[in-house]
Amino acid sequence: MTISTELANTIVDPRAYADGDRVDQAFAWLRQNAPLEQAQPEGFDPFWVVTRHADILEVERQNELFHNGDRSTVLTTIEADQKVRAMMGGSPHLVRSLVQMDNPDHLAYRRLTQGWFMPQNLRKLEDRIREIATGFLDRMAAQGGSCDFARDVAFLYPLHVIMEVIGVPETDEPRMLKLTQELFGSADPELNRTGTETYDAQTGVDTIQSVVMDFMMYFNAMTEDRRKTPREDLATVIANGEVHGQPLGHLEAMSYYIIAATAGHDTTSSTTAAALWAMAENPEQFEKVKADRSLIPGLIEESIRWATPVKHFMRTATDDAELAGKKIAKGDWLFLSYPSGNRDETVFEDPFKFRVDRTPNKHVAFGYGAHVCLGQHLARMEMRILWEEFFKRVASVEMAGEPKRMAASFVCGPKSVPIRFTLN
Amino acid sequence: MSEQPYKTWQCRTCGYIYDEEAGDPNEGLAPGTRWSDLPDTWICPLCGTPKSDFDMIEL
Repeated sequence: MTISTELANTIVDPRAYADGDRVDQAFAWLRQNAPLEQAQPEGFDPFWVVTRHADILEVERQNELFHNGDRSTVLTTIEADQKVRAMMGGSPHLVRSLVQMDNPDHLAYRRLTQGWFMPQNLRKLEDRIREIATGFLDRMAAQGGSCDFARDVAFLYPLHVIMEVIGVPETDEPRMLKLTQELFGSADPELNRTGTETYDAQTGVDTIQSVVMDFMMYFNAMTEDRRKTPREDLATVIANGEVHGQPLGHLEAMSYYIIAATAGHDTTSSTTAAALWAMAENPEQFEKVKADRSLIPGLIEESIRWATPVKHFMRTATDDAELAGKKIAKGDWLFLSYPSGNRDETVFEDPFKFRVDRTPNKHVAFGYGAHVCLGQHLARMEMRILWEEFFKRVASVEMAGEPKRMAASFVCGPKSVPIRFTLN
Repeated sequence: MSEQPYKTWQCRTCGYIYDEEAGDPNEGLAPGTRWSDLPDTWICPLCGTPKSDFDMIEL
């Protein structure tokens, strides 16, 4: 069977992700009735929709059979794909980061910064990150009982941490945040560069390319600076690093900065904002953590499952394969739906309930296998420190208006979480 | 003869750390479970990397 056009159009519609319920209902139906079938929304090549937790793990685990880089790693229309290939000399990618790479390059490029993101290295950042977290909570407290937690805390705190790690000066952080939101929010008129709800391929590709070019101009200057004057930051590692005995290629170096400067904060921001939104709507969960801080790791894992900020990645079969009883042909494109995997009723009891004491909680929000999120330990550490400090001083939270999500089918989360709060 | 000191092992792919002293109760591994007692088929709970691709580390 093939997934109906109406349902196929829903799972690629950025507005369905802003709505939340619409996309949840679509995937719930698919998990029940068509857990692994092909879809062909209008304007797209056909692709398999992988909705179940076990099947997502199976595809991610077999990274030689299911490649990241052979076709676009992000779902894209036929027209947009043609435009990107025309611009990029036949490549389906505007950038070439770890996300678009397969072995042997993936392993070699990942090793370059892997040590930076290992738990034992991150320990040395603990005190500084705590200082940053308390600074943002001080500012929140000074706002007198209400704030937009997404805009005032969640967007800014992980941004500040990763920019310090990379070596971007604080004065440039608003620019980095704007560029990130323009990139991931390219379909959202409140965030994108055109300010309009534009879905035509030419405008979409042009807009994303102009954002990528702005990032590249910025990081090109940083590369030159770090080659002349190395520092103790990630930019110095990228600028002076070698892969396969050669300096990084220009596109690969720029892409490395871009992924660190976007995915390195936006996903943690979305998760943090979604966590507070969920706790404001489920005060008993807030009270549980307040009464027992040993639940903070549980709160973090449940927040990551709940938010699942990366909505999908695409994979391409390198050979004929069988998955969950279906014949996948060489060259087929697969859509891994992480929010669907994280609501899989066969893995998570009451998956649509936010429960800070959920255990086990083996979500797939960070991916799995060789491409598992490089920054996952940093993300968890940032959230642990923020919530440790938050629960020391905040006594209660409640919604103070209508929260809103970004409209995007790739990476998205809350864009506004208005709350009222009281302090101890 | 005294007990061997506890050791820690790290996944080469994702950095997950298995500490014998702490075990990993979420994975059903009680505190004190030795690395050598994990079956050879055991895989990293975060990324699925096989047990053979872990390194012993000192923290």
